[in-house]
Amino acid sequence: MTRAEHVNKPSRKKIVRLTIRHVVLALFAAFWLIPILWLVLNAFSVDKGPNLSHFFPQAFTLDHFRNILLPGGDSVNQFPRWFMNTLIVGCFNCLISSAFVLMVAYAMSCMRFKARKPMMNVAIILNLFPGFLSMIAVYFILKEFGLTNSLTGLVIVYSAGSGLGYLIAKGFFDTISKSLREAAWIEGANEFTVFWKIILPLAKPIIVYTVINAFLAPWMDFVMASLMLNSGVSAQKTVALGLFAMVDKVNRNNYFGEFCAGGVIVSIPISILFVIMQKFYVEGITGGSVKG
Amino acid sequence: MSMMQQTKARGRSSGLTRAFSSVGEFFAGTAEAFRKGDIWTRLSALVCGAGFMARGQIVKGILKTLVEALVIYLIPSFIVPNLSKFGTLGTVVAQKSFDPVTRKNVWNDYDNSFLILLFSVMSLVLIIVAVVLWMKNMRAAYQVQRTQERGKHVNSFRDDLDDLLGKRFHITLLSLPTLGVVLLIIIPLIVMILIAFTNYDHDHLPPNALFTWVGLKNFRNLFNMSPESSFGYSFAKVLSWTLVWAVMATFTCFILGILMAMFINNRNTMGKRFWRTCFMVTMAVPQFVSLLLVRNFFANQGIVNTLCKNIGLTDWLFNIGAIPTANYIPFLTNPAWARPMILLINIWVGIPYQMLIATGILMNIPADLTEAARIDGANAWQSFWHITMPYIMFVMGPSLVNSVVGNINNFNVIYLLSHDVYVTQNQLMANANASEVDLLITWLFGLTQDRQNYKMASVIGILVFVVCAIITLVAFNRMIKGDKEESFQ
Repeated sequence: MTRAEHVNKPSRKKIVRLTIRHVVLALFAAFWLIPILWLVLNAFSVDKGPNLSHFFPQAFTLDHFRNILLPGGDSVNQFPRWFMNTLIVGCFNCLISSAFVLMVAYAMSCMRFKARKPMMNVAIILNLFPGFLSMIAVYFILKEFGLTNSLTGLVIVYSAGSGLGYLIAKGFFDTISKSLREAAWIEGANEFTVFWKIILPLAKPIIVYTVINAFLAPWMDFVMASLMLNSGVSAQKTVALGLFAMVDKVNRNNYFGEFCAGGVIVSIPISILFVIMQKFYVEGITGGSVKG
Repeated sequence: MSMMQQTKARGRSSGLTRAFSSVGEFFAGTAEAFRKGDIWTRLSALVCGAGFMARGQIVKGILKTLVEALVIYLIPSFIVPNLSKFGTLGTVVAQKSFDPVTRKNVWNDYDNSFLILLFSVMSLVLIIVAVVLWMKNMRAAYQVQRTQERGKHVNSFRDDLDDLLGKRFHITLLSLPTLGVVLLIIIPLIVMILIAFTNYDHDHLPPNALFTWVGLKNFRNLFNMSPESSFGYSFAKVLSWTLVWAVMATFTCFILGILMAMFINNRNTMGKRFWRTCFMVTMAVPQFVSLLLVRNFFANQGIVNTLCKNIGLTDWLFNIGAIPTANYIPFLTNPAWARPMILLINIWVGIPYQMLIATGILMNIPADLTEAARIDGANAWQSFWHITMPYIMFVMGPSLVNSVVGNINNFNVIYLLSHDVYVTQNQLMANANASEVDLLITWLFGLTQDRQNYKMASVIGILVFVVCAIITLVAFNRMIKGDKEESFQ
């Protein structure tokens, strides 16, 4: 059989193989999508708790969305407050953490000073300790200052140690050619000008990645928030903590629909940011490491 | 090979010697400043700003003296009172007594062991920093003296500020992040490590009770492998599951993610974008939402169990003896089922991320490599093993080690799937607040939250560090050959 015939008339064997390939893909896709479909279905379902006997709900309603957006004085459901709390923490963390990460990354990547290597080694060692081991002590420290169960405390917890997460940004800065900086020095620029006017504009992918990552941290985090916000007062919680309480043993049968609706609502902005971030992330690490 | 190891060993020892010699140099420099300095430089040992003010650096001198005054003020008011109690961690127990004058209950002036420990650590850090700064200050004062003696320009305050944006810009950049790390990572970490050597637990909770040093007792408790020791028994079990989990979770996601990416990117696949989007949809939902959802999905009275019951799967499994009751499949409540289920759910959560990264890398593989292999007669399998995998390993290798460490500390997946759902039937483990699906990290968390057993939690925390450190050291020593960071600038 010549090649031309092969293209024009696909053999039977080939059609079978193509079909099998796509059926397998469809099965995998279904496996991945069914729980998500169940989330959406439950968000629109008339059932208050998880429907135990039917995959598809008997009837559809928007009640869960209305309840979660306009909760009134509900003691469990304070979704708009949680959303605002997380948004505030996210914004402040975003500002402080991104600044810290980029500052440390520039110092470690582009400058040479005596303490550089020792500091980098200390950072590696510190990163090997489980993150919330130190947070247990931080909890007691913040408690002394009355900062537990407050958003300030949470911002401090998320952003204070963020300088340690500089490695990815440093990897990116490492790939920016040194000749650019040298040219700027010859023109009489100081380090600050180089950092602000040359490196940062070139580092857009990694800045976007760092900023979105810092913004998303409080939306994704469960453990730090549950350590710091332990009063049990619903209005003080973040989205993750609040939604977690909705599906505990006591509340599950009354709030599962609201939980799903809340999950759908937070997914929308987060997924948009995530798609943007992932694009830059892949660009950042592959761009950096293929060359390095 | 042995040559290389020798060179490496030499390189390392010289690095260590360098570190020591630079510390030695530091001391020697301070001594030299003292020996050769004039009266003003020597006076700087007492009044830190003296040497600078004598050379016209007034503002700098005043600032340095103010910092010194602050440290001296802290010695009687903070450092001494706390450090003096460091040996006992406090002796005065809190007591409430009735004051007949004010007719109120008043507390005595009691000791809080935790605060004593915390403030002592802060004092020690402060002392070390102060001594180092003092020595640096002596050297700097001598430097200025020399500069003036040689008739060179002595920096004005303005010049110093300019330096902070120029050749000393790293100080500007690093001081705030470092302060954050020292105050909220390093000091708390030292405190938690020290707590491993105390009896800080439910019965010794400050402020109502004191705790004190107990030496290595907690470590002996954890390593006690006698059959009646609940902590020793649980530790062996939890540690082995943690390691199995970390390796399995990393490699299943890694391999399957790459295979999936290749399967979708294959030129025979139609509608690549569509399939990719199908998997990306999972990523749109935050992890804690999807995990909490899945745990209800697979609950004992959940929807999956209803469906399995309806199609007769539950009865069949019961008949072959795979499940203990005919009513439901204990997906997340029986050790034999829960562990594989958690791994499976982790694959479900993890593959889309891995696929995304792998897709990016696969697209970067130089096409001529695979093309050349095809012309040389390599089949798909050979080209996968000899070109694709080495290439991916080259790019992803270091991050693979990080994800093993990350999975050892993977709190979310285990905690959100098993908390309130999985109850251990093993009495010894239950005594130690552990369960068959716990990782070291979730065990640690549970001990602090449910039992307030901080002493054992911090012992476990130290061991998590040891495990992670060993894995990282071994892996990086094998993988990374030399420091390549500057070769591409």
